[in-house]
Amino acid sequence: MNAEYLVSFLREAKDIMAENREYLINLDSVVGDGDLGLTMSDGFLAAYEAVTEKGETDAGRLLYQAGKAMSTAVPSTMGTLMASGLMQAGKALKGNTELSPGQVAELFQAYLEGVANRGKAKIGDKTFLDGLAPGVEALKEAVEAGEDLPTASAKAAAAAQKGFEATVGMLAVHGRAATRGEASRKLQDPGAAVAALLMKALEKASR
Amino acid sequence: MKKMINKPENYVKEMLEGIYAAHPDLVTCTGEDVHCLVTARKKEGKVGIATGGGSGHLPLFLGYVGEGMLDGCSVGDVFQSPSAEQMLAVTKYIDSGAGVLYIYGNYNGDIFNFDMAAEMADFEEDIRVESVVAGEDVASAGPAAPGEKNTRRGVAGIVFVYKCAGAAAADMLPLEEVKRVAEKACANVRTMGVALSPCTVPRVGKPGFAIGEDEMEIGMGIHGEPGIRRGKLEPADQVVTEMMDQIVADLPYQKGDQVAVLVNGLGATPLDEQYIVTRKIDEYLKEKGISVHRYYVGEFATAIEMAGFSISLLKLDEELKKYLDAPARTPFFVQV
Repeated sequence: MNAEYLVSFLREAKDIMAENREYLINLDSVVGDGDLGLTMSDGFLAAYEAVTEKGETDAGRLLYQAGKAMSTAVPSTMGTLMASGLMQAGKALKGNTELSPGQVAELFQAYLEGVANRGKAKIGDKTFLDGLAPGVEALKEAVEAGEDLPTASAKAAAAAQKGFEATVGMLAVHGRAATRGEASRKLQDPGAAVAALLMKALEKASR
Repeated sequence: MKKMINKPENYVKEMLEGIYAAHPDLVTCTGEDVHCLVTARKKEGKVGIATGGGSGHLPLFLGYVGEGMLDGCSVGDVFQSPSAEQMLAVTKYIDSGAGVLYIYGNYNGDIFNFDMAAEMADFEEDIRVESVVAGEDVASAGPAAPGEKNTRRGVAGIVFVYKCAGAAAADMLPLEEVKRVAEKACANVRTMGVALSPCTVPRVGKPGFAIGEDEMEIGMGIHGEPGIRRGKLEPADQVVTEMMDQIVADLPYQKGDQVAVLVNGLGATPLDEQYIVTRKIDEYLKEKGISVHRYYVGEFATAIEMAGFSISLLKLDEELKKYLDAPARTPFFVQV
């Protein structure tokens, strides 16, 4: 896997966010201010456009630049969190032009840490992390077991989707959803939905 | 929506162009991007102080950039954080080797972006950055337990923090000391507001919430965040008493204390009413045996055209009093 693979991941990510714009707007309108579909489709588009046909071969620099472009395009809460994930992944992979499947797993582990450090949320707080963390775990396990990336990423996408669905029942402690208190438990978390879509984009890019 | 504007999407840009036109002696922008506003009188060797936040709150945030207060401000869309990149551009411009202090309000979007900007400044530019986050709205949450994060919103009281930290920086204190003064001001300021009517974000075109013709909401935030009590509109004296009871009990401000008072109109409450409010605050504090060193009455932190006001108290010691009294000259704050 090389820079081209990362560009195709970002292409799949911006496509899937654009396709699911209304879905995310609707999810977010229930708990937040409803702009999530816009920030995610605009943000991943900006990330993709910052790196496509730029000829950057360093995987780390490519991801960092994509993250920076996203942070400039969509400085909303969720936009900045996603940008932080990309930039952290960029820092972790700096200096690599070829990525092993293990390093692809590392990329998403760093993405997860970048988001967690910025947002100061924990697993179980009913956020993006509750979608991405199970996806990253599944990805790491499958790769360590020697499975190829198409298989591993499909497992990651399924695990992230399950993680998203499992946010129903969790108590929201961050953002506007938290103001609902106990009533937040019955809601799906829109951030975790973004995580499931992101893992789906990885699956598509890995085929 | 009834507003004196052109196209809603040009609201912030055109507001900024007006600011630059009216105050060329005090402020300028870092380059192409009008959202990166900085002092026109940069002083070498001084700690730079930057703030930032969404538009819709003038004079907050950019109105306090000038002499004796702030050195730069990144300006976001209405009620939206500016980007980390814009904050970084301001940081680079105002740094003169002594480091930069960020002072901003306690909102997630701003926190995430300022944290990212601070990392970029360190990682890409080798600029030392420290941050102080103001959160003094007593109606927004309880006080933070020891070791816990402060979850209170930052509102008009931040002006006191700007003033004291800005004067400390103008005295050429080092970064750690300017930060200490800012934190001390934060620790001694409390605010509470009341809203009588909603506000309309220009690009949305309709009010974000409704308040009945005969209603008020005590404790509402400057973006329309829910307050602590909605009820029938009451006489000013009664509303002030309810707010002061909560503010005074929170720190607490005690008999013998000396304070500065900031009475802040939220955008559509006339000065006459603000002084009617001030009259009652004065009476209230006299009864409590709390003396007022100085009053500031007017618009400092608005919520577009929301009607209502907020009251902020800053408890003073000799150090804060000295910095509060120091001269300042910015587009919206002049003190000689």
